[in-house]
Amino acid sequence: MLLENSIFALLAIFLLTGSITVIWAESIIYSAFGFLTALIAVAGLFALLNNSFLFLAQLMVSVGAVVVLTLIVIMTMNLKDKNMPKEPYKNIWIVFSSLLLIPFAIMLYKGVSKIGNFKEIKENFGDIKSMGEALFNNWILPFEIVSVLLLSALVGAIIIGRKELYR
Amino acid sequence: MSPLEFNILSIALFCIGIVGVISRRNIFVIYMSVELMLNAINLILASFSKTNGNMNASAIALLMMAVIAAEAGVFLAIIMQLYRNKKSIDSNDHTSLSQKEFS
Repeated sequence: MLLENSIFALLAIFLLTGSITVIWAESIIYSAFGFLTALIAVAGLFALLNNSFLFLAQLMVSVGAVVVLTLIVIMTMNLKDKNMPKEPYKNIWIVFSSLLLIPFAIMLYKGVSKIGNFKEIKENFGDIKSMGEALFNNWILPFEIVSVLLLSALVGAIIIGRKELYR
Repeated sequence: MSPLEFNILSIALFCIGIVGVISRRNIFVIYMSVELMLNAINLILASFSKTNGNMNASAIALLMMAVIAAEAGVFLAIIMQLYRNKKSIDSNDHTSLSQKEFS
């Protein structure tokens, strides 16, 4: 129990540090590495919740595809300082918007605070077999719709990213 | 560990994402904040799955991961097209669809 709690505390520190780095850092490349840290911490929290298949999918999709794509785009654009936006009041904006969000966070906390404890889980909880049973018994129509969505996003990204769109 | 700790963590991640969207002007930071909010939803869904004892919420989280990947591709293509148009990633420069006059 102590081991699980210490792993949870470590992952929470990683998650909060990474996500605060994303919104606070000056340079975009620091933001991207903070983003990478936060996504790996989310994958570790999935593993702590016995969801081994979600852990693998998060590592492959979010860390392996999304962060690498973001880093490739940042390095391809090769931004200089004159292209970066000037944000002289960034810290004031961040502090005041987080003060504004405190009532919203309290509302969300009231919503989840009545949830009971974890149930006793079955021994094959979270592996690929039970995930496939849930996916292909109850969620078969959203699964097919997601395949169409991925195809249309692929075509749309190619069409939007073409060079002669505005010529 | 109780589900409350996971839920508090995901609420904190979601609120950090909202702060990033409304307080920064860099388009890349806005994109990463949207991704952080989607990941907070994934985390709370995995926590609900263990609370309920079945895998349905985890299936929703897996479907949402595909939506995250699709959103990342389209968003990055839009960012590259905006940068190619005006050589700027400031969100205040891209107001050609707006009807107000910005200085």
